Amino acid sequence: MIAIAIVIGCILGAIIGINVPTISYTYSGYLAIAIVAALDSVFGGITSVLKGNFDLKVFISGFFGNAILSILLTWLGVKLNVDIYLAAIVVFVGRMFTNLAIIRRYYIDKWSKKKVKEDIKNENEKETMG
Amino acid sequence: MKKGKVTITITIGLVFLILTAVMFVQFKTINQTDITSLENMREDELRTEISSFKQKIEDLNKEITDTDSKIAEYQKAIDSNKEASELLSQELEQQNNILGKNDVKGNGIIVTLTDTNDQKITPEDLRELLNQLKEAGAEAISINGQRIVYDSYIVDISGTFISVNGKRIVSPYEVKAIGNSTYLESGLSKKQYGYIDTKLEEGKDVKLVRKDNITIEKYTGDLNFEYAT
Repeated sequence: MIAIAIVIGCILGAIIGINVPTISYTYSGYLAIAIVAALDSVFGGITSVLKGNFDLKVFISGFFGNAILSILLTWLGVKLNVDIYLAAIVVFVGRMFTNLAIIRRYYIDKWSKKKVKEDIKNENEKETMG
Repeated sequence: MKKGKVTITITIGLVFLILTAVMFVQFKTINQTDITSLENMREDELRTEISSFKQKIEDLNKEITDTDSKIAEYQKAIDSNKEASELLSQELEQQNNILGKNDVKGNGIIVTLTDTNDQKITPEDLRELLNQLKEAGAEAISINGQRIVYDSYIVDISGTFISVNGKRIVSPYEVKAIGNSTYLESGLSKKQYGYIDTKLEEGKDVKLVRKDNITIEKYTGDLNFEYAT
């Protein structure tokens, strides 16, 4: 059910995004940071689902909060003449990799456990056969 | 289905909708933007651009000064060429005067020889007069408007006409000569054996007049060598 919602959301989003007018190049840097922050939130959400402690409020607040905060920080960095957006990217992308690693491990574990179970099952069958 | 699950589904769908929409907007923006155009450059890029342009301006200014000095040199050369060409054209003018290709003016004398009933003027008379005038320093001579140049000739045509430069002329013969008029006059009017006296003795009608500002017309024929090189 949620997967269907995600697919529909992606398709509709793509259609809307293609038809919406482009923004000025000056602001596309801010938007890029916001996108990275949002992607980080999404991966964080997936991880929390796998861990079983997913909270919609945390997810939504992280999604929008991180995006807006990163935009504000980037803006502040421009005003202070410090490349704060680099820090934001390092943090968000680093966390994305961490989350991806967790997700990867989870599925590898799941897959190998299944295999072990099947192996045991097969052996049992062999024993009964024999 | 529980009510909470529907909310979660719709919320997550919306979240992904927003995320993909923003991402596609960004893709589109990056795709369509020409990074090299001035409006889209970052500040530091613009700064380097400005400094490189400043450098270029300096170089060009140097080039301008170089070119200016070169132009001044050329101008000088042109001026000196002008002087040279003026000199040359002066020389050409003088040579043309000498050759008889220009009208010339000056003080001199006019000798008029007229046929009378008993005595006709012969080409020999005119030739002698020319010789005498040249001896006296005449610079330009004409007979009845025919300029005497280096290849002029005075001949008799069947005893009836005199031809100068191939043109027939008739009495009275007016010989104009430009030169030092005193020399010319005295050269012709020596006592006893001078040209005027000799001709008058022969019974020919010869008159000599001193005149200022005589105009002698230019030679109208061609002055070309065909065989001599």
